[in-house]
Amino acid sequence: MFDRDIWAEIFHSIKKNKLRTFLTGFSVAWGIFILVLLLASVNGMKNGFTSQFNDDATNSISIWPSVTTMAYSGFEANRVIQFTNRDIEYIKGNFKDEVEYITPRFRKGVVAKYKKETGSYQVRAVSPSHQYIEKTLIQSGRFLNDNDINNKLKVVVIGRKIKEDLFEDENPLGKTLIVNNSTFRVIGIFTDEGNDREERYLYIPVTTMQRLYSNTDDISQILLTYNPKYSFAEAINFSETLEIVLKRRHKIHPDDQGAIYLNNNAEGFSDVTNFTNMLNYISVGVGLLILLAGIIGIGNILVFIIKERTKEIGIRKALGARPAQIINLVILESVFITTISGFGGMLFAMVLIGIVGPNIKSPAFADPSVELSTIIIATVILVVAGVLAGLIPAIKAAKVRPIVALNSD
Amino acid sequence: MIKIENLHKSYPMGKESLHVLKGLNLHIKEGEFVSIMGSSGSGKSTLLNIVGLLDIHDEGNYYLNGQLIEELDEKKAAVLRNKFLGFVFQSFNLITYKTALENVALPLYYKGVNRKERQKIALEYLDKVGLKDWAGHLPSELSGGQKQRVAIARALVTQPKVVLADEPTGALDSTTSDSVMELLKEINREGMTVFVITHEEEIAEETDRIVRLKDGVIISDELTNKKVTV
Repeated sequence: MFDRDIWAEIFHSIKKNKLRTFLTGFSVAWGIFILVLLLASVNGMKNGFTSQFNDDATNSISIWPSVTTMAYSGFEANRVIQFTNRDIEYIKGNFKDEVEYITPRFRKGVVAKYKKETGSYQVRAVSPSHQYIEKTLIQSGRFLNDNDINNKLKVVVIGRKIKEDLFEDENPLGKTLIVNNSTFRVIGIFTDEGNDREERYLYIPVTTMQRLYSNTDDISQILLTYNPKYSFAEAINFSETLEIVLKRRHKIHPDDQGAIYLNNNAEGFSDVTNFTNMLNYISVGVGLLILLAGIIGIGNILVFIIKERTKEIGIRKALGARPAQIINLVILESVFITTISGFGGMLFAMVLIGIVGPNIKSPAFADPSVELSTIIIATVILVVAGVLAGLIPAIKAAKVRPIVALNSD
Repeated sequence: MIKIENLHKSYPMGKESLHVLKGLNLHIKEGEFVSIMGSSGSGKSTLLNIVGLLDIHDEGNYYLNGQLIEELDEKKAAVLRNKFLGFVFQSFNLITYKTALENVALPLYYKGVNRKERQKIALEYLDKVGLKDWAGHLPSELSGGQKQRVAIARALVTQPKVVLADEPTGALDSTTSDSVMELLKEINREGMTVFVITHEEEIAEETDRIVRLKDGVIISDELTNKKVTV
């Protein structure tokens, strides 16, 4: 195999048949090119999806009430369901093992003012657990704590964008921010991996907001995370139980689909994982099929070449070439062409990914890349493909009878 | 050197079979210069193919250099061809993309001679046929006569026991034919057994012994005047 003369023969034959070598190699290069590109694209989509979901804890459930659609238990349909702090306490009390973090939440549009700068923002009235559910990152200062909640303190945690809008170069910590004519003390600044919009929120203790603006204990949404050790099935089971319990508590018909909305992040995340896995399988399948076309193309062209070289093979045999030497020559040539052109296709795909990848600005697509395992598998496939493509033509060549070959033209 | 006893060969032709060689007996001794004469269809090519180990006979015995040829598989045939036989074909059969030198060196490659040695020996033989200066040329750059000389050098390079020439002048004009025949004679004078197949009377006359073949049987086997005069 490492006989210099065999390689000299192969290079000779390739050099003398540049066009057909190029055509042969191109089909394989194309197959590998598409395979790598497809796999990288799926990787990019997967990364895109994952980074979207990273914004929130993947084991989170959000619940928000709406309007009943069915009459039940003496109530008419179209009754407005309202959650209150007592629902939070109820869930906390009854699902001690199931719930990791839980927070109420409601939103309010406000005007915030510091010195001469003002801006319109959304306040999120929450409890301290919200930090873990939303994966809020504290840049400086602190997030809300139990003391703030219990004493209904007028404190606020502001997003990085608000700090930029209102405070510019000043350090906002300890400063007084006027929110809808009430004064709040800034206790922390946060960032969020999600997006800019997330960084234009103000976090204020839920109790403070309830006292200041409505003097009720109403809340509009419940966010919670369940036990992180739960499997997907357990998570789904838990959210179903929760829905049943809440419906019973608010006297909602068990089959009423409109009164309470419950969104389990696990469902979406699991869907995405299944989706990208499936895409992966599909692209491997499609890539391999295209590669198969390339392999068959090589086999086809080699058979043709053997036919074209029948006379030459006959001459070689008459001069004393053994069948094994002929087979060796054809297969090595095939493997050489497939491997070199395959790597060419792979390299081209990777260069393309390297150049185009970082320029794709889409939330659904991030950091497309090729894993090392893909490259190794592709290499193995190429060598095997080369042998397979060369095998039939090689055996055909070895069977060429010198007299027939010498008489052919 | 070549001994044939009661050699039969037939080819299947549909349901019938074509009986090409019908019990040939022939003995060629070392150093002879023999021609097989016959029109097309006489079986002379089939005889050459069998003698050249390119085809197998059905019946009878064939001894090459005293060795009985039997149970010949491809590999064994390849080794024997390389060792004992040198071929010269009507259409030269040079490999088009190899230079004259590489063509001559090819049998040595299959013999397992190393590269340097190959080049050296091949050049010696090219010199012998008067084409040393053409070593780097491709067949397409050579004249018909030169191509056949390269082919003869290639046939000789492994120092075979027998040179088999199948219509060696068939594709050449009369002047170049003469020079090729001169070359074959010269080789024969150096002791090589040369076995020529032809349908041309003039070519056969140049050899020492003419075996005439018709319809698969030998009809005459005689020495030419040339041999007598020597």
